[in-house]
Amino acid sequence: MVPIPYYLLLAAALFCMGMFGVMVRRNALVVFMCVELMLNAANLTFLAFARMHGDVIGHVSAFFVIAVAASEAAIGLAIVIAVFRSRGSVLVEDLRTMKH
Amino acid sequence: MTSLSEFLQVAPVAPDVLAPSLWLIIALPLLGAFICGVFGKMLGRANVHLIACSTVGGAFVLSVLAFWATSSMDLESRRLLSFFVNPFGQDRDYVRYAIAYDYGTWFSAGDFRVNFGLMVDHLSGILLLVITGVGFLIHLYSTSYMEHDPAYARFFAYLNLFVAAMLVLVMADNLVLLFVGWEGVGMASYLLIGFWYEDPAKAWAGRKAFVTNRIGDFAFLIATFLMVLTVGAFTRQADERDFTSVGTSSERYASALSDKGPVTFLGLQKMAEALPDGGPGQVNLSTVINAGPLEGYTFGGVMTAALLLFLLGAAGKSAQLPLYVWLPDAMAGPTPVSALIHAATMVTAGVYLFSRMSALLVLSPTAMATVAIIGALTSLLAALIAFAQDDIKKVLAYSTVSQLGIMFMGVGMGIFWAAVLHLVTHAFFKACLFLGAGSVMHGNGDETDIKKLGGLRREMKWTWGTFFVATLAITGIVPLSGFFSKDAIFHGVHHNHLAGLPWVSSAVYYLGLLIAACTAFYMTRVYLLTFEGPRSKEARVAHAHESAWQMTLPLVVLAILSVVSSVYAWPLLKASGDGRPQPVFENFLSPVFSAMNRVVATGKTVELDTSVPALGDYVFAWLVAVSGGALAGFLYLKFFPSRAGQPVPAFARAVRRAAQNKFYVDELYELVIIRPVKFTAFILFRVVDALLIDTVAVRGTAWVTARVGSALRYVQSGDAQAYAAVMALALVGGVAYALIQVLQ
Repeated sequence: MVPIPYYLLLAAALFCMGMFGVMVRRNALVVFMCVELMLNAANLTFLAFARMHGDVIGHVSAFFVIAVAASEAAIGLAIVIAVFRSRGSVLVEDLRTMKH
Repeated sequence: MTSLSEFLQVAPVAPDVLAPSLWLIIALPLLGAFICGVFGKMLGRANVHLIACSTVGGAFVLSVLAFWATSSMDLESRRLLSFFVNPFGQDRDYVRYAIAYDYGTWFSAGDFRVNFGLMVDHLSGILLLVITGVGFLIHLYSTSYMEHDPAYARFFAYLNLFVAAMLVLVMADNLVLLFVGWEGVGMASYLLIGFWYEDPAKAWAGRKAFVTNRIGDFAFLIATFLMVLTVGAFTRQADERDFTSVGTSSERYASALSDKGPVTFLGLQKMAEALPDGGPGQVNLSTVINAGPLEGYTFGGVMTAALLLFLLGAAGKSAQLPLYVWLPDAMAGPTPVSALIHAATMVTAGVYLFSRMSALLVLSPTAMATVAIIGALTSLLAALIAFAQDDIKKVLAYSTVSQLGIMFMGVGMGIFWAAVLHLVTHAFFKACLFLGAGSVMHGNGDETDIKKLGGLRREMKWTWGTFFVATLAITGIVPLSGFFSKDAIFHGVHHNHLAGLPWVSSAVYYLGLLIAACTAFYMTRVYLLTFEGPRSKEARVAHAHESAWQMTLPLVVLAILSVVSSVYAWPLLKASGDGRPQPVFENFLSPVFSAMNRVVATGKTVELDTSVPALGDYVFAWLVAVSGGALAGFLYLKFFPSRAGQPVPAFARAVRRAAQNKFYVDELYELVIIRPVKFTAFILFRVVDALLIDTVAVRGTAWVTARVGSALRYVQSGDAQAYAAVMALALVGGVAYALIQVLQ
């Protein structure tokens, strides 16, 4: 059996990759995919801990995260499409008008 | 004769009928003030005069009735009708020769309670008569004197307001209500001194009076609070034994306290009576207060402190050292005001206050000695300044300060009745002098410099005659009232002795003789320069004209009063105890001062001598007065006219200049008090207020917020990735911190 720290290290690596993508990618769709990646990293951590403790709380949490991620993806995609329709672009640095 | 005395003994309105209406005495002038002040412009001159005079006249009539009622007898049973049960005493403990009415709670806070209670006894009764009587004459006089003033309605409104406030002061049966009147007269006097406010100098004089009075009033307030605390401490610590000697029980005292409040004069009197009696374990003057804010101080110590603060308060109102400086400047107001406020009524409030609280005052020989010495020093200083003043009203003002000092000497040495008598006679002759001076100014185109008057004797006969009588009265010539009242004070001062301070008596007495001689000198000087000799070449008008009857009639009445009121000082009656001859006024005021006498008898704080001056004493006092007057007569009739044109020695000139400039007391105050205060105020304004509070605190906060905001504006780019970067950095920081913690 693979020891728990390896899972955790993998999850950390995935999380960092996702975070890096959120910070540097310009396309909003790719940013969303990176967010998904981070969420999956979190899921992996939950499952690893669930295994370690031998209970089901981690599994339940992972299901919640999956549900939230699904709804978030739906809403996010809707917003991105709406923005694309009004502006013709999905690049995040073009979306600064929210500030005003 | 019996029918006359019977007539006088039965008041036309029975005391118990009159008592609930006592408030009318105050309300009438107040109503007059309201009408004159609000509707004066519409009413026209004659109506304003009518209302102002008739309200004060009505108050005078009511005062006569009230005064009459204080001595009312039932002829059939020969019993006194005017008495009421002392709420602080036992059931059989009556306040005689007094009527009172309590209109209920005025305000209360916690267990502190003040009632709106009015009381007229012989002391306040005689003052009621003086205030409304002299006040009425002065109103009458003002109708002519202020004839040409456009603001006559305002003037009469203020004058009525003053009378109302003064009546509150003397009729109040507790310290707080007295303080209302005390402040009221201060305000009215401020308004009247600065009556001609277009002239900055006169407005300044009003302000000076106001500020000086406020200092005293502040001390008065602190003293009142001290009294409240003392009464509280006394009721906690005293038990039944403390009250056995004073004819009251502790329950009754406590219930009266919760009913009437702690600052009622009757209650204070009862406390004063209980304090000196020092049986073992009883509360007395040297008992230490064991709880409350005054814990650790003795009753006697607190009492002395409170009385000294009352002295400062009285010094403000009655123009004594160190607060006398406002009174001479107050002559900027119209002359009737000088006569009413600064001679007859308001300035005597301090003497009244101490007479009202005589039972407390005699508890502390230290306070008494201070009162007497302050009085003597004020009187002497004012008399010396009066020597060199050329303004007729200024001389009279300093003479007032000096005479008030004499009254304070009497109060301080425990001869209260004589001080009050001098208060009354002084009100008559000084009002006469002031009104005479006003008449002189009126007839001479407002000339006040006595060097530029002279020879008015032939041109203003009525003014001359009355001024002459009043001058004789204040100088102390034999058959006039001033001689007897002043001599009664000096005799008492000489023969009373304060426990532990035996030297005060003779020191004050010899100062008093000097003051009497000085008074005679400067009053004779004023009289001679104004009325005798040739008419000055610098006179403003060629011929002075006599004033109208509205002005001369009050003068004549006051002159007559200042002659006949001497009868009060004659020992015509027998004392009730030992049958010795007793002056009429002492006999008359004895119910008021009976508590004081009992305190003295048990406490032995003052050695009271009730003897009557012998013929030798009278002759001596008379000689002192005559010598001062004769010296002035010699100097100003013979010596100076014969030396006219010759140079004056430098020494005499220097002394004269110093006296003329009031010995630079004002300048000293300016240097020692006003400048530092102003400087501190300037520092506070510039550094603390303008710099620290305005700039740093108020505007600084706004500035910092705005700057921080505009700096943070650049951070709020709206760039989601920048935000994410910040969050990631924070996360990295958090992880690093967690790692460090874990590794350690």
